[in-house]
Amino acid sequence: MVSVINTVDTSHEDMIHDAQMDYYGTRLATCSSDRSVKIFDVRNGGQILIADLRGHEGPVWQVAWAHPMYGNILASCSYDRKVIIWKEENGTWEKTHEHTGHDSSVNSVCWAPHDYGLILACGSSDGAISLLTYTGEGQWEVKKINNAHTIGCNAVSWAPAVVPGSLIDQPSGQKPNYIKKFASGGCDNLIKLWKEEEDGQWKEEQKLEAHSDWVRDDGRVFIWTCDDTSGNTWSPKLLHKFSDVVWHVSWSITANILAVSGGDNKVTLWKESVDGQWVCISDVNKGQGSVSASVTEGQQNEQ
Amino acid sequence: MKLKEVDRTAMQAWSPAQNHPIYLATGTSAQQLDATFSTSASLEIFELDLSDPSLDMKSCATFSSSHRYHKLIWGPHKMDSKGNVSGVLIAGGENGNIILYDPSEIIAGDKEVVIAQNDKHTGPVRALDVNIFQTNLVASGANESEIYIWDLNNFATPMTPGAKTQPPEDISCIAWNRQVQHILASASPSGRATVWDLRKNEPIIKVSDHSNRMHCSGLAWHPDVATQMVLASEDDRLPVVQMWDLRFASSPLRVLENHARGILAIAWSMADPELLLSCGKDAKILCSNPNTGEVLYELPTNTQWCFDVQWCPRNPAVLSAASFDGRISVYSIMGGSADGLRQKQVDKLSSSFGNLDPFGTGQPLPPLQIPQQTAQHNIVLPLKKPPKWIRRPVGASFSFGGKLVTFENVRIQAQQGAEQQQQQHHVFISQVVTEKEFLSRSDQLQQVVQSQGFVSYCQKKIDASQTDFEKNVWSFLKVNFEDDSRGKYLELLGYRKEDLGKKIALALNKVDGPDVALKDSDQVAQSDGEESPAAEEQLLGECIKEGKQVSEFLPSAGGTFNISISGDIDGLITQALLTGNFESAVDLCLHDNRMADAIILAIAGGQELLAQTQKKYFAKSQSKITRLITAVVMKNWKEIVESCDLKNWREALAAVLTYAKPDEFSALCDLLGTRLESEGDSLLQTQACLCYICAGNVEKLVACWTKAQDGSSPLSLQDLIEKVVILRKAVQLTQAMDTNTVGVLLAEKMSQYANLLAAQGSIAAALAFLPENTNQPNIVQLRDRLCRAQGQPVPGQESPKIPYERQQLPKGRPGPMAGHSQMPRVPTQQYYPHGENPPPPGFIMHGNVNPNAATAQLPTSPGHMHTQVPPYQQPQRPQNGWNDPPALNRVPKKKMPENFMPPVPITSPIMNPLGDPQSQMLPQQPSAPVPLSSQASFPQPHLAGGQTFHGIQQPLGQAGMPPSFSKPNIEGAPGAPIGNTIQHVQSLPTEKITKKPIPDEHLILKTTFEDLIQRCLSSATDPQTKRKLDDASKRLEFLYDKLREQTLSPTIISGLHNIARSIESRNYSEGLTIHTHIVSTSNFSETSAFMPVLKVVLTQANKLGV
Repeated sequence: MVSVINTVDTSHEDMIHDAQMDYYGTRLATCSSDRSVKIFDVRNGGQILIADLRGHEGPVWQVAWAHPMYGNILASCSYDRKVIIWKEENGTWEKTHEHTGHDSSVNSVCWAPHDYGLILACGSSDGAISLLTYTGEGQWEVKKINNAHTIGCNAVSWAPAVVPGSLIDQPSGQKPNYIKKFASGGCDNLIKLWKEEEDGQWKEEQKLEAHSDWVRDDGRVFIWTCDDTSGNTWSPKLLHKFSDVVWHVSWSITANILAVSGGDNKVTLWKESVDGQWVCISDVNKGQGSVSASVTEGQQNEQ
Repeated sequence: MKLKEVDRTAMQAWSPAQNHPIYLATGTSAQQLDATFSTSASLEIFELDLSDPSLDMKSCATFSSSHRYHKLIWGPHKMDSKGNVSGVLIAGGENGNIILYDPSEIIAGDKEVVIAQNDKHTGPVRALDVNIFQTNLVASGANESEIYIWDLNNFATPMTPGAKTQPPEDISCIAWNRQVQHILASASPSGRATVWDLRKNEPIIKVSDHSNRMHCSGLAWHPDVATQMVLASEDDRLPVVQMWDLRFASSPLRVLENHARGILAIAWSMADPELLLSCGKDAKILCSNPNTGEVLYELPTNTQWCFDVQWCPRNPAVLSAASFDGRISVYSIMGGSADGLRQKQVDKLSSSFGNLDPFGTGQPLPPLQIPQQTAQHNIVLPLKKPPKWIRRPVGASFSFGGKLVTFENVRIQAQQGAEQQQQQHHVFISQVVTEKEFLSRSDQLQQVVQSQGFVSYCQKKIDASQTDFEKNVWSFLKVNFEDDSRGKYLELLGYRKEDLGKKIALALNKVDGPDVALKDSDQVAQSDGEESPAAEEQLLGECIKEGKQVSEFLPSAGGTFNISISGDIDGLITQALLTGNFESAVDLCLHDNRMADAIILAIAGGQELLAQTQKKYFAKSQSKITRLITAVVMKNWKEIVESCDLKNWREALAAVLTYAKPDEFSALCDLLGTRLESEGDSLLQTQACLCYICAGNVEKLVACWTKAQDGSSPLSLQDLIEKVVILRKAVQLTQAMDTNTVGVLLAEKMSQYANLLAAQGSIAAALAFLPENTNQPNIVQLRDRLCRAQGQPVPGQESPKIPYERQQLPKGRPGPMAGHSQMPRVPTQQYYPHGENPPPPGFIMHGNVNPNAATAQLPTSPGHMHTQVPPYQQPQRPQNGWNDPPALNRVPKKKMPENFMPPVPITSPIMNPLGDPQSQMLPQQPSAPVPLSSQASFPQPHLAGGQTFHGIQQPLGQAGMPPSFSKPNIEGAPGAPIGNTIQHVQSLPTEKITKKPIPDEHLILKTTFEDLIQRCLSSATDPQTKRKLDDASKRLEFLYDKLREQTLSPTIISGLHNIARSIESRNYSEGLTIHTHIVSTSNFSETSAFMPVLKVVLTQANKLGV
């Protein structure tokens, strides 16, 4: 069952391009072609505008919340080639950093898992990916991967923090030996996996080829899985071929449901059935939808 | 930004959008000569490989043609959905010919690449266009006003759109409408454009501004608006693009005057109607918005004119331009840095010139580049306005608590004059619930924990079990909540005390007296053989053996007896006895292998000697059963558990259940379980779970269960959690041990479970199930997340009676604007510099979470459910959060009597083995004859030969178990009820008297709910439902109490009133929705005592339709 519990009238003056909840699910950040970023308190079904952030000079494509252990921090990226990091200080939201290292539209921002520190990955239409790392004292160190995707990177997403060889967190106190990885998708139809080398440089680890158009535009959604322990063999499984552009995919927190939003203004929810097939369990229209029981029943039968 | 270039003076055509990879076809231009003045011609196909960063384009095929071309297009005709067949290349030649090529044949290197050819036209064919609706239809234009419509399926005979326009003129452009498939437009250098309707077979409108200066070099229909088109003029005196709307065809709608000299070509983006490319004799390539006239982009080109420009149909950001300097360039309009490409070029030059850097600075050859200003600014800016295809119109992303955030932007038609529709820019936050069964089972579990109905819950589970194993597990769990748990465990293992007692009694009845029984025991046992389990025979047989020896000795004691003092062993023993030297006598007996004599004598010789003798006996005796006897006598249960054959785990467990002392009981069960788990086959591994249940070892149960079951799906996790929660309750009730420690594995499972609940939106339930007394980082973090997700109560409203909850939360949150209090004020202290250790787990840094400390300070249970319970009723022991039983109806805590002794094993085979266990604590008297009568109560089957140690098929304890042991209050299980139940009952009435009245305005809640329950009760049929409802009715008292005390927050109160209203209107499903809303938005501690019950009532009401 998908039921609307809150309808937030954002009062944006143009198209909304992204809407993200914070870690707790109590605040909503939105961004729009009207060049603004807004933050709402949406607890208890309410909507209180907390901040209307101006600073971008073009449409704002994406927003991303940092983990709350670093405070209340939001990153936004825009067609104006800038990435702005906003921060709440004493109840007021302000710009804390502006990254102007890209030559074209910055299409995607994503914070690394909090275990790594405060690191932001940014993907741009100039083909580069930059990584901003907070080094203290208001300073951000920038690393840039040039030509990550020819004529443009459209999306970046971090891999969860996992220590190689263990599925459970290591005992506290011991310094975990994390290997930082993220994935990017681009106009060269490729997905690339990037890994931080021991010298701190980012290296292309894998190139995943299955899409025949921009990762996004060919309407295909693949689920990539890596079964071998070395992490080198990724195999795609076609979830569905949509008739239109797929704009965005989002995993549920427990990672068993995938939300796919398409160019036909449709949002669909997908779940893996018992036999490993991906099944559409819901069509969401204006936040409403029913959930087909087939998949859940399948599990019941399994019992 | 320039992506690629090819040195050709050629016409160009992109492969259709369906085609992958992207190809660019070039055909030698008929109008321009290249630098070589070569007259040869060719058709080439290049692949656009964007993953290759170099400027070169990969040539896939070259076909030497006898023709030069005025126009080249690539249609998708006959292309299958996969894009495998590469469509048709259609070329307009110099001599009125149209040639169809098969691009796949060209790529394959085939000689026969021409599909068809027709030279019906007069003069050069300059205009060609494919109908996008019917891709087999191609329109062509040439001199003498000739326009033909070709059907690629029947290429021989073209059609005409109508009568030729007069006067005859060249057709320079032709274009099919993008919205209406039978509309075609043509234009000529004279400046006139004609629109044809193929259904009517005639021109329907002529478009001209009558300036005579519009020398049409370009014509394009609006991609979205059927009646609009643009015309471009190559006249330097009027270098404009005119936008026309056929509905107002007297004058152009808009004129774009962005070029300084005549325009040679235009191209309208199909992907974004606001992007029109134009190139002109001013050497500019511009991208403008034809709907506003604004120039959005100027491509960084060289000084040469471009005579052709084309959008790539597949990749909307890519375009190609052909220039008079003999080059086709591919650009991206998204800007970007050309550094990488430039470097490539420099590298290439350097390598061509050897190591010599011809220009010193590493700059490329000047003639190929625009002068210095672009060289300095290698950054190429993107379009002023973002193209449509990167403007994301829709999105959906999940957030914590199973919420889905979605938005969509309804497309506005860019219709001219249409009133601007006020768009609603809404974001929807939705709750996604997919695991209904999981939730309902979780709900049930929660209710059980609250209502303490463990026994009936376990029973239900037993009844519903589909496998024996599942049934066993639940049976074992259930026993924990019953009296005489050890006895019941034994029953579950197949040993019923009553049955055994009967069997023994039966055996005894067959003999007359003790003496006879002893003598006849062999026969009795034999005749009773079918009834007695083999193990019983073994065990009892052992005693009998000893007894028999004794009995053989005894008669002589009764008769005249001859004290021999001869020199043989007998004589020596006699002498030793006569001198009171028991030790020597025993030694002598042992030496002579007269075990029975030795033991009898040792008894007389005192405890110490007896113990020594026992040891010596066991050391000597090699019978397989000896180890069992050793264990029983020496109370060394570890031995049995450690070394028994695992097939006999039941027996071993039974022995432990019978004999083990409370302090060693758990450890022994554990040990057995561990052995089963590590050594046994897969079947036995699962049985280890039962041992762990007996041991009350939750952590190991989790580990074992997880190993045996697939725990990935929510329901199988639910299976596990049900057991774990019940076992934890059982452990709390039956064992005095500290149950608050939560192991790593349990913590992981519980947080996984809580995560799943949260993901289904049941945040309150998730919080409830999360173990409290732990510092496991994942749990602490999840708790913080859940608490905040729930939306904290406004500080003033927080009930002072829930100190735990308040301490748990980060302190001092001033208000919604101030945000989270751990917001770093001083960045250096809060951020973690790169390379340092990541922050410690449990990221809430103000150290607020120390659940153990918090609870320890509280005299009462965390009690945020039962705040009305006076503290004096609370036992002073560490509590475990909500899932502790409420004090009011607490199941009496089982406790071991302090003087508990397990049935004492046979320390002496003939001394006092029966009777009151208490008496066994008395020092054993070294007098031999007295116990003889009690000895008689043993049935004495014969000792079967060749028993093995592992063949214990009968609980050892039965041998020494007096009949009175079946009484629960002194049985060997840990715990008997203590008398505090009475105290609770007595304290109740005083509590009731002091209750305040419910405020009038809320009385309606009580009446409504009670009325509803009554209605349900009257229509409910099955007793289970009735029970549930009765229970609900009682439990709603918690709500009424809260109403009395006025401790509920206004939101909850109003929510409850809403529920009441929906009950009035019999709209129970609405009531349930409101219920869900309240639960998900309210503070758990406020509502947990009554909301689940209310849900039960609503659900029942809905089901019963009352």
